[in-house]
Amino acid sequence: MEILELYLKGITVALKGIPITIGVSLVAVFIGVLLGLIIALQKMSKFKIVRWPANVYVEVFRGTPLIVQALILAYGVPQLLQSNDIPFKWPYLIIPAIIVCGLNSAAYVAEVIRSGLQAVDKGQMEAARSLGMSKGMAMKLIIIPQAFRIILPALGNELITLIKETAVLSYVGVVEILRRGTLWNASSFETFPAYVGVAIVYLLLTIPLSRIVAYAEGRMAQSDRS
Amino acid sequence: MIEVKGLKKSFGNLHVLKGIDEVISDKEVVCVIGPSGSGKSTFLRCINLLEVPTEGSIKIDGKLVELNGINETRKKMGMVFQNFNLFPHMNTLDNVAIGPIKVNNVPKAKAYEEAMELLKMVGLSDKAKVYPSSLSGGQKQRVAIARALAMKPEIMLFDEPTSALDPEMVGEVLEVMRNLAHNGMTMIIVTHEMGFAREVSNRVLFMDEGIIVEKGSPDQIFGDPQNERTKSFLSKVL
Repeated sequence: MEILELYLKGITVALKGIPITIGVSLVAVFIGVLLGLIIALQKMSKFKIVRWPANVYVEVFRGTPLIVQALILAYGVPQLLQSNDIPFKWPYLIIPAIIVCGLNSAAYVAEVIRSGLQAVDKGQMEAARSLGMSKGMAMKLIIIPQAFRIILPALGNELITLIKETAVLSYVGVVEILRRGTLWNASSFETFPAYVGVAIVYLLLTIPLSRIVAYAEGRMAQSDRS
Repeated sequence: MIEVKGLKKSFGNLHVLKGIDEVISDKEVVCVIGPSGSGKSTFLRCINLLEVPTEGSIKIDGKLVELNGINETRKKMGMVFQNFNLFPHMNTLDNVAIGPIKVNNVPKAKAYEEAMELLKMVGLSDKAKVYPSSLSGGQKQRVAIARALAMKPEIMLFDEPTSALDPEMVGEVLEVMRNLAHNGMTMIIVTHEMGFAREVSNRVLFMDEGIIVEKGSPDQIFGDPQNERTKSFLSKVL
């Protein structure tokens, strides 16, 4: 009985981290989609000078670990500014955490969105343009709405990935799910129940989400049979 | 009036159009026929610059068609595609109304009213709230025609409008086009429907290997073709 209580305690401790983990993930995906769309459109430009910064961005954020990016933004940037006599301190460490997750997510989402935009039939753009729409208007009204339907499952997967990835934020002082478990472990020395509790709480989030994504994919496949 | 002068189009080393000169008058119905790969679709697509010509010029009512200002020019030209290209994320009525609403800034109520009229004209007023995925091919193409007409074009371009249809649906689409022709619309139709071309057009252009090989009235082209290539083509399809 006592053992069961320990595991339950491990889970309830970790559960308290859910609002922060979910909050950071949702805001980060939101930033990721907005910024990712801009980067995707940039990457599809016919002008090299527009494509180039987008390519560099994606390379940098996909080519370095999220934790390194988080450390640079949360601790490195304030140190750099302070050593140049600019008084700067993050009021809450969750702010750089959200920003870095959003920036990181944008690099991955950009690729997803680009593939979605390219998956929309070419005839759609032609039909829109033949009505007299400008390219931008056709993108906004015709191409992007269809691309988003195509990539919605992939965006769901991105949210699931991000929920797990935010665990690294426990290293930059954000008290999310993993950090809750770590703190309890430090005070109770119940290492196994603490981290198993953390794992179970992540599963409580990711399993339902992946079910929803799978369901959405099934629905999409149906509606595409036109 | 559409004036095409010295029109050439190449895709890399592939010379699809090798010099087209043609004048199409107002209210004329012109059918373009010819074997596949002859350049007839490319010719049509060059007229509204879906393909940008490599050489030559196109004038509409004396005004040069160029990329600068193309959106204004395209408003005057409706286009109907082989694969319909309806917008799958909008219902039928929105498909028809979106052009006027977004491009011509027509008030929504008026645009929907006119869209409904057009759907009635193509016999699909009962399908206004339905999404394209639940329409048959013939119905999709009739909606696509209504969508193009919603912009009140002066010219209609048809790119093999019945080629992707099951045979039993060809008739309903041709019927809509026939009515348009009788109402005095200027039409350029790329088609494989020889019977329809003969019946409805004022003039027929026979294209092969990137040029207009022979042109004339339907009776001339179908009844008494002069060129060997025209004869050979017609003997295979008629």
